[in-house]
Amino acid sequence: MTSAQLEIQMIASFVAVACAIPGTFLVLRKMALISDAISHSILPGIVIGFFITQDLSSPINILLAALSGVITVILVEFIQKTRLVKEDTAIGLVFPALFSIGVIMIAQNANDVHLDVDAVLLGELAFAPFDRWILGTTDLGPKSLWVIGIILLFTITLLITFFKELKVSTFDVGLASALGFSPVVLHYGLMSVASITTVGAFDAVGAILVVALMIAPAATAYLLTTDLKKMLVLACVFGVFSAVMGYWIAHWLDASISGSMTTVLGLVFLGVYLFAPDKGLFSVLYRQRQQQTEVSLLVFLLHLQNHTETSERHRNHLQEHINWGSVKSEKVLKLALDNNMISVDNEVISLTEKGYNFTTGALEYITMNKTSELENIKEDFFLFRG
Amino acid sequence: MNIQEYFSLLFTDYTLQTITMGTAVLGAVCGMLGSFAVLRKQSLLGDAISHAALPGIALAFLITGTKDSTVLLLGALVSGLIGTFWIRGIVTKTHLKSDTALGLILSLFFGFGMLLLTFIQKQPNANQAGLDKYLFGQAATLLRSDVWLMTAVTATCLMVVLLFWKEFKILLFDAEYTKTLGFNTRFIDILITSFIVLAIVLGLQTVGVVLMSAMLLAPAAAARQWTNSLGIMIVLAALFGAFSGVLGTAISASHNNLSTGPVIVLVAAVVVLISFVFSPGRGILFRELRFRKNRKDLQLFKTLSFMYNIAENHEDISHPHEIKILNNFQGFTKKSLRKLEDENYVTIKGSRWSLTKEGYTKAANLYNQQTIDTND
Repeated sequence: MTSAQLEIQMIASFVAVACAIPGTFLVLRKMALISDAISHSILPGIVIGFFITQDLSSPINILLAALSGVITVILVEFIQKTRLVKEDTAIGLVFPALFSIGVIMIAQNANDVHLDVDAVLLGELAFAPFDRWILGTTDLGPKSLWVIGIILLFTITLLITFFKELKVSTFDVGLASALGFSPVVLHYGLMSVASITTVGAFDAVGAILVVALMIAPAATAYLLTTDLKKMLVLACVFGVFSAVMGYWIAHWLDASISGSMTTVLGLVFLGVYLFAPDKGLFSVLYRQRQQQTEVSLLVFLLHLQNHTETSERHRNHLQEHINWGSVKSEKVLKLALDNNMISVDNEVISLTEKGYNFTTGALEYITMNKTSELENIKEDFFLFRG
Repeated sequence: MNIQEYFSLLFTDYTLQTITMGTAVLGAVCGMLGSFAVLRKQSLLGDAISHAALPGIALAFLITGTKDSTVLLLGALVSGLIGTFWIRGIVTKTHLKSDTALGLILSLFFGFGMLLLTFIQKQPNANQAGLDKYLFGQAATLLRSDVWLMTAVTATCLMVVLLFWKEFKILLFDAEYTKTLGFNTRFIDILITSFIVLAIVLGLQTVGVVLMSAMLLAPAAAARQWTNSLGIMIVLAALFGAFSGVLGTAISASHNNLSTGPVIVLVAAVVVLISFVFSPGRGILFRELRFRKNRKDLQLFKTLSFMYNIAENHEDISHPHEIKILNNFQGFTKKSLRKLEDENYVTIKGSRWSLTKEGYTKAANLYNQQTIDTND
């Protein structure tokens, strides 16, 4: 591994962590799409800054671009407040307009400016190590590494300092303002950090990857935990993992680094989305199926309990009475038999004592809706585990 | 070339005709379907879908090796639909919210698409150039056949919308009720969404992945301000869309170095801005004016009710009083007094005022909303 490769991976990992932290809060506050809006609408800020400084990673440029990110947020909120359109429409109206202005400004000055839209949107991490910060004669490393390093440090400091405030205002705005933390200040603080991070990162990885790095690790982590600290850590881990993996895949395919980082993020998300132990697709589907079977079983048992006459409890009659297909009724019947809830005697079905007790318990729970009735049937049944 | 020249050339120049027709048709179909997206609160779905279509374009090229726009758009359609249904899967099956789902699909698919595009660019195949036009769109590359395709899709859309008008409308405004009436909401839902995806995919070539969502949203958001009727809104949105398409093309064709996509989006944004400010029913300007008028009326009534309290204590309600006693009362000005006189609520003689019969009843019923309504 050459030093340039190491530097690229370091920049990518720094960006990943710097994005994952605000990203986690954006996802939790249901504002994930604001990051998309910011990442597009910083374009005019960057272009103006570039005209002034002729340098993409100068501090003035970063501040100007971050300012246009904050302006986006303010504009979106202003449009929302007029209540002429819904919130998401407001976002969808503001950022394409600002982005278009940026694109047109670039196109109008295309001849004398060394800046093109692709670079802004996609970034080129592979070139980052060549733009070095040289002080006197000493080489201090790539500029973007410094920029993103400082932003990361700034973000972490803010996170540690205001962790409690952020946590409260994320989950309970009312409580936060009652406790005296201004939700507005925190909101705009978070938005500013998100803007600055976006700007600092876009130079290295491009605007779209910033969105991916903000949302995907946080969303993936959210599927695995509901603890804020764990979620932050997991998001950072996923981010760094995809940064490093993405680099090597890009190296192998000879393709865009940011594209392959996003792809790795996507694969990680897909894996967790399908297989997460509690909230993954498969476990949700399994649980829903289980619940469906159990509801059927319960209906079946209640039916038996309601009817003492033999004709109502005949095997063939049940099928038409509860209106199930033959496969389903056989399945439910077998399940009930396996659990010793019923006994079949000459094609006539009757409840066993266990079945009777269970049904009575379930009925009591259903009619009274009290959790205390629930305790003894909880263990046998998924359905009642809440 | 300036704009007038453009319009005179429009009747003779084949390329200009094609492009203008293309953008006009695109604007119309986007406006029409965008109305549904906006009203269903799926505004940003368009953004996600247009980004999600990119890997489809790249994969279609990798598999077939052709650059025929129909094949590529078919790929875009497939990957756009996959993205849409994945978003739906995330929202319904997990606790992630729709904004997160949209952002995820948008950025992940787009990143994957970029990976494929850069991968294609490194291939030793001279045919690959020009795929990146789908990023920002290039109206200039529109062919007559593309325009016919768009027109065909628009006609189909229009037919489907007319055919399922009742179903679409009821699903928009009350999904639960639709279900209880026995409509297959899933089917209607998928139908609308599929057509939205189709419209977005059609626009990719002209406006590009990044700005496509604005094409969908802006005309509909503008049209919403002028009407409360779905039918009128859709027609208006289609008109606004077509107008932005044509004007945007005209402006970009008459200047150097202006790509069509961003200009169309900016024109649409201006239309939205004008609608926000000047629409008579909902616009900011008229709302502010109404607000001011109400405030003025309120102050007038405050003065009237103060007068009423004084006059109440006298047997003769039109007993004259000095204007001076009103002086330290808030909301009283010379102007408001004159206004009251104009409304025939008071009469003024010299430095004295007296309530008229009309003013007295008005003031007595001031807080009684019902009688005021019947009087008016």
